[in-house]
Amino acid sequence: MKLLYLYRFKPTEATEKTKKLVDLVSKDNEVKEYRLYEDNPDYDKVVDMIWEADKVISWW
Amino acid sequence: MASYKFMFLIPNKMYISDALRSTLGVAVENHYGFGAVLYQKLPPVTEYMKENLEWTKDMEGDVFCVVDTMDEEAKKYNVDEVGLTPITLEELGKQILEADYVVAYGLPYQSRELPSMCADSRTVDTAKTE
Amino acid sequence: MSEEEKDMNKLGIFVTNPHQDTWRHLKGIVKAVQKAGKTARVFFTFKSVHLVQQSDFLEFVKMIPEEDFAICHDSYTCEGFDGIPTGLAEKQMRSQAYHGDIVDVCGKYISL
Repeated sequence: MKLLYLYRFKPTEATEKTKKLVDLVSKDNEVKEYRLYEDNPDYDKVVDMIWEADKVISWW
Repeated sequence: MASYKFMFLIPNKMYISDALRSTLGVAVENHYGFGAVLYQKLPPVTEYMKENLEWTKDMEGDVFCVVDTMDEEAKKYNVDEVGLTPITLEELGKQILEADYVVAYGLPYQSRELPSMCADSRTVDTAKTE
Repeated sequence: MSEEEKDMNKLGIFVTNPHQDTWRHLKGIVKAVQKAGKTARVFFTFKSVHLVQQSDFLEFVKMIPEEDFAICHDSYTCEGFDGIPTGLAEKQMRSQAYHGDIVDVCGKYISL
């Protein structure tokens, strides 16, 4: 399955808590990631990636 | 009409009740609503939340408590008293892959303990004050 | 609606919180979707209804056809508000059923 992960928030102790779950879901799947929290996200690229993926998970 | 499986992931205490409302909301629209509470003990459960949980289960959905992400007190309350279904993080991972739509609901996990103004559900015992 | 009847050029966006970054990403994604010749359908639930107070909310809502934007009426009421937010019509005050409709109509979906 082609998964797209969008990371919405800057990494903190709170967001790090989900890392284990993210790793479990990623196993044996094709994963692409985009860090929305970085400066000046390229939303055009994000939209292209959304359309390429089978499933999008907007992690915290 | 197609029926899809939703998985609502809920790490923030202030968002639990409404995430469960959204879980039920998709079930009412002929989809399968599943929720998963992570990291903590539910806030004191209201009649409204209890009804939502029962209704969600009646409509072939469920609400999980991810037991290996929380302490014993939280696990005991969520599973034994509230009635959430216990699952492990690994089992949740599988559920997420099976879901058609995954909603990482609300804000991230909140490390600060909730102050009384939004955590306390004690009621005044009017019998004692008379 | 069957899979075949979904609009594969439409993105459903379920907004679940009022964080400033959520607003920024929502605006960016919707603009990019439209730039790509596609459309978006957006639903605000729970505390994300506070986003109707953003200074550029009116500009945002004018970008989207009325039938493609709604907020949860009960959420708006439970957050202490009354009436209808400026810029919205009564028919854009909806229930959680609107979220169910989103996945019936939209070929793609994200939550924020």
